[in-house]
Amino acid sequence: MSKKLFVLVLALVLVSLAAFSAVKNPDTLIVAQYGSPESLDPQAMWDTASGEVVSTLYENLIRYDGESIDMIPMISTAVPTMENGLLTPDGKVYTFPIRKGVLFHSGNTLTPADVEYTFERGFLGDNSSGAMTLIIEAVSGGQYFSIESWFEDWAGMAYSDAVIDREPVSEEARAKLIEFYEEVIDPLFVVEGDNFVVNMKGSFGPFLYTICYYAGWAGILDAEWMKVNGAWDGKADGWWKWHDLQPEESPIHMDADAGSGPFKLQVWDQENKTVVLQRFDQYWQGPAKLKSVILRDIEEFSTRKALLEAGDVDLIAVDPIYRGTFDNTPGVTVIEGFPRAQVTSIHFTWAVDPASEYIGSGQFDGEGIPYNFFDDINTRKAILHSFNYDALIEDLVNGLGERVPTDLPKGFFGYDPNLPMYEFDLGMAEQAWKAAWDGQAWENGFKLVAMYNSGNEVRQTCCEMIKVYTESMNPKFKVDVIGAQWPTYLKATRERLCPLYIIGWVADYPDAHNFLSTYYHSEGYYGQRHGGSYTALAEAQFNELIEKGVREPNPVKRLEYYDLLQRRLLENYVSTPLYMPQGLWVGRSWVQGYFPHILRSNGDTTPEYYYAWKAE
Amino acid sequence: MAMKTETRRVLRKLFRNPTSLLGIFLLSFFVAIAIFAPLLAPVEEGRDNPFRMPIAKDENGRMIWKSAPFPPSPTHRFGVIGKYDVWYGVIWGTRSAFRIGLIVSLISSAIGIVIGSIAGYFGGWLDEILMRITDMFMSIPFIVAAMIMTTILGKGLDKVTIALIIFGWMQVARLIRGNILQAKEEQYVLAGKALGVNDFVIIVKHLLPNTIFPVIVQISMRMGALVITSAALSFLGVGAEPGYADWGTILSYARNYMMELDRSWFAIVYPGTAMVLFVLAWNLVGDALRDIFDPKMRV
Amino acid sequence: MTAYIIRRLLILPIMLLGITMIIFSMIWMLGPERLIGAYIKSPEALRSNDAQERLIRKYGLDQPFYVQYGKWLGNLLQGDLGYSNVGRTAVTKAIGSRLPYTAELAIYSIIPVVVVGIWLGVIAGARHNTFWDHGIRIFAIIGWSLPDYVFGLLVLLVFYSFLGWFPPGYLSESSMAVLRSDEWRTVTKFATIDSLINGRLDIFVDAFRHLIAPIITISYLWWAFILRITRSSMLEVLRKDYVRTARAKGLPEKVVINKHVRRNAMIPVATVSGGMIVQLFAGTVIVETVFARPGLGKFTADAAVQLDYFSIIGSALFFSFILIVANLVVDISYALIDPRIRLK
Repeated sequence: MSKKLFVLVLALVLVSLAAFSAVKNPDTLIVAQYGSPESLDPQAMWDTASGEVVSTLYENLIRYDGESIDMIPMISTAVPTMENGLLTPDGKVYTFPIRKGVLFHSGNTLTPADVEYTFERGFLGDNSSGAMTLIIEAVSGGQYFSIESWFEDWAGMAYSDAVIDREPVSEEARAKLIEFYEEVIDPLFVVEGDNFVVNMKGSFGPFLYTICYYAGWAGILDAEWMKVNGAWDGKADGWWKWHDLQPEESPIHMDADAGSGPFKLQVWDQENKTVVLQRFDQYWQGPAKLKSVILRDIEEFSTRKALLEAGDVDLIAVDPIYRGTFDNTPGVTVIEGFPRAQVTSIHFTWAVDPASEYIGSGQFDGEGIPYNFFDDINTRKAILHSFNYDALIEDLVNGLGERVPTDLPKGFFGYDPNLPMYEFDLGMAEQAWKAAWDGQAWENGFKLVAMYNSGNEVRQTCCEMIKVYTESMNPKFKVDVIGAQWPTYLKATRERLCPLYIIGWVADYPDAHNFLSTYYHSEGYYGQRHGGSYTALAEAQFNELIEKGVREPNPVKRLEYYDLLQRRLLENYVSTPLYMPQGLWVGRSWVQGYFPHILRSNGDTTPEYYYAWKAE
Repeated sequence: MAMKTETRRVLRKLFRNPTSLLGIFLLSFFVAIAIFAPLLAPVEEGRDNPFRMPIAKDENGRMIWKSAPFPPSPTHRFGVIGKYDVWYGVIWGTRSAFRIGLIVSLISSAIGIVIGSIAGYFGGWLDEILMRITDMFMSIPFIVAAMIMTTILGKGLDKVTIALIIFGWMQVARLIRGNILQAKEEQYVLAGKALGVNDFVIIVKHLLPNTIFPVIVQISMRMGALVITSAALSFLGVGAEPGYADWGTILSYARNYMMELDRSWFAIVYPGTAMVLFVLAWNLVGDALRDIFDPKMRV
Repeated sequence: MTAYIIRRLLILPIMLLGITMIIFSMIWMLGPERLIGAYIKSPEALRSNDAQERLIRKYGLDQPFYVQYGKWLGNLLQGDLGYSNVGRTAVTKAIGSRLPYTAELAIYSIIPVVVVGIWLGVIAGARHNTFWDHGIRIFAIIGWSLPDYVFGLLVLLVFYSFLGWFPPGYLSESSMAVLRSDEWRTVTKFATIDSLINGRLDIFVDAFRHLIAPIITISYLWWAFILRITRSSMLEVLRKDYVRTARAKGLPEKVVINKHVRRNAMIPVATVSGGMIVQLFAGTVIVETVFARPGLGKFTADAAVQLDYFSIIGSALFFSFILIVANLVVDISYALIDPRIRLK
């Protein structure tokens, strides 16, 4: 009996040893990451986990060329430019010649009408959990961010007053809604023979970027299949019934897909948190080398690591903090140091809501801060000089990061490495503190709250750095580091409750505007959160340059605007990037065909599956 | 008088049993560490909250901002992990362990005693309502409750403490109620009632002293268990705030280096041993106390 | 007796209602601005100025407590517990589909937990205050006091990374492919049973291989608990008159322990079993996380972290229901076994 057991054990050990020498599961790529998709409906998602799957199932009109941000044809056979005449000189009309012979996974052939349906469904549906706002902003020439506000502006009545419980409140409202589609939305997207034409309301430089492949939300849908399966029927009357649905009401939320990409959805196993993709053999560029791709959501890093080391998974997500644990792992390849289009920044709220619980006593008595603490340039200056930027990059993230002067990632238009960067200099910080608030800050001390979203170790350490170095200067200085749960963080940062916190932004498209307007325009996503005298400052010095920049077709002039803008930003010690993360890819050495791209969702963990294969 | 001889009997028994002796020895050891924490792991000047671990410094006095483990050295005798000195964390973590244990078990037991005695003594519909409320609290999974609570209250050990108290009084309440139900039929209680003695006096003076011993056993057992619970909460991301001197926190820093024990063993072995011994100590004492208090065993 | 059971059963829905009210009001206190965090995961999604307002309206988060709660209650009466964001399906379905995974693990774990736990308890009790007693107790307490993720990861390290025996996960990918294919017949959703029904011994072995490491982890965690109860009730029974009589009759100690003591010492173990089952079900979260297994524990924890309140309430209801019913069954069977216990 025990002899048998021994033999069995021996056999098992031998099997596991033998497994090391050969490629495991040669046709299947298994990825262990952290995080599940929110929805596989391209128009109802905006997170990286969904984006990764969606851009494997669906294809866009155009795509990027390799690792660059140059655009090349995809479903469209040409990239519209003024030179090739497919973009009118006023920058408003784009013509996309649609490729023939592209099949959807259902077997239907892709036609320009499918493209038209896709964009119209996206606009009318405008899912508030999705990214349609990006395309709406572009196509409306930067005027609107949502269909509801567009409708309100056009019809003179709020959408929420026109439609209640998905039914128009009156015949008049119904007529308005239909008219809105016919007069406003329908003319935007037109089929002309084999071409698909977009008639923009105004020119918007980065438009092509917002729909370029890797932007999963602009994936082309199979109109016929969608209509049969209960999505918008393509008619003007009743479009509101499909407006802002909950993601699960979409037929392509989780059970099926309506794309033309190299892989089709086999199953999204909710219980095992696994997405299984199968090769689509009729793919127009020829079938992929891999037969299937399995994406598993495994929360525990040590478990992912053990699976990778055993060769049971091929790729895993690794936080740069733990880069060091792969220093000498046999059979594992690490690719690192490539740029990611995102920045992690420190954000100052110039005027906090006076009722906030995060300002303590609300005055300089050592137990809190005045609500407009950061309205004084010296307080911002002091904090920015007491941050150890090099330690953050070299020690914490193991060199997988880089400093940038303003919230504009390296490689983006307008990025200038010659701009000055704030130094880590406690002497300068001390001087600034002494000058801040006429010396009140230095004499009376304060208690400041620094917040991050809990679970994010890099941000946590950033806050701790601020705490350690600030407190080291004066025993009356206190910094409380608060790790808030996501919902609390969301509220505290949006509603100007927290004076100082760490934020990040992942590029939606590779254009400077995406970052500069988000961070610095007084109505930008982060810009509007400063409050206090920031609004006046931005209106006087920043807004105009940002607005002129995005419309300026001449790159030399545009660069001038952005240069001036960034110098002004630096002078004013506005919220500042701490670093720009770099990518880290960890996988078995037998995974081939990986190339990084700054914009691909989860692109630091996973390859573009169509180009990947496994071989020693 | 009765109490005094009882106490003496308990103490005598405690010190005679080798396992309880071991428990007592370990406990005094931990108490000593907690008391002498400022000497064993001195707090830098100007730091007002010693429970917030300082960022460790390397031999050149530079702060360590790496989260990776650094092996034990003369400056950090238990090594460094997650930017913090393991020795400091283990020493001050002893205080945290006592603090959370004492606060939670005393307050929640007090709540339990009040509810249990009211329910048991007065009986009837009051008993029914109180016991059903107790059942309700008992049947909400604790982990879920703790997670929602931290989302509402914010992260931190003080918030964990509140969650542990709110969801920690039910056992004692049931225990006390059961014992009082039995004891209130005793002659002396019935006599007291007949003589019109105040209910409050009867409960406090006559009923509780005779029913409290199982609660003491419970408290001693829970002292250990609470450390484990708060460590589990740290794992789920709802426990102590990062950098808090707490054994579970240090262990959770080692979590991502567990697959390389040769590099990180010290971050598991030292706080882990402290935790095991602490729980063991309370258990041994608790077991011994139960053996002593259990009236059926007084042979 | 019958009246007692009826009364307890009548009170059950009221208690469940109370539980939902406690949890609902706890969550409602967060306010709509925080609750939208349940629906979006990246700050980018709130980019447009009206996004927050629209999300709040879309999910009805701005309605007063009684409206939201009333709506939920109304749906409950139709058997609808709401939509689970985490499970991406109806809450009832989400719980139902995850239950078998946890149940399989729990049922297989109960065997070593109870058998070995009792065995250890009997030894410790029978040899009270000897080396064996102390040694066993210390061994068990170490398992109990090590945080389960530490022990779980150690088990993973030893049995998977070093030895390659017991991989994490539910099944290997090749078995999962079979399970997802059309020819697979799902009957019980227990991989160990369905594999036999389908005549796939290889999958049975695979399923078992994946179960062992979590079972080891859970068992070591629970032994201390069972051991303590068994041991102390052993000690109690050992002093009973009939045991003394048996001993006085000159029966060998082994016979006394096996025949007279052990069985009677089991009763308290049965008492706690109701609570234990619930704890096993709800407490698998860490084991499920470490070993990357699907199940109810992880589902509940995910729901709590993501503030998926329909799922939170749903699983709380489920656990409460099981606990209350289990306790009721224990109480009743007690009364049936032991006529001295009268139920009021």
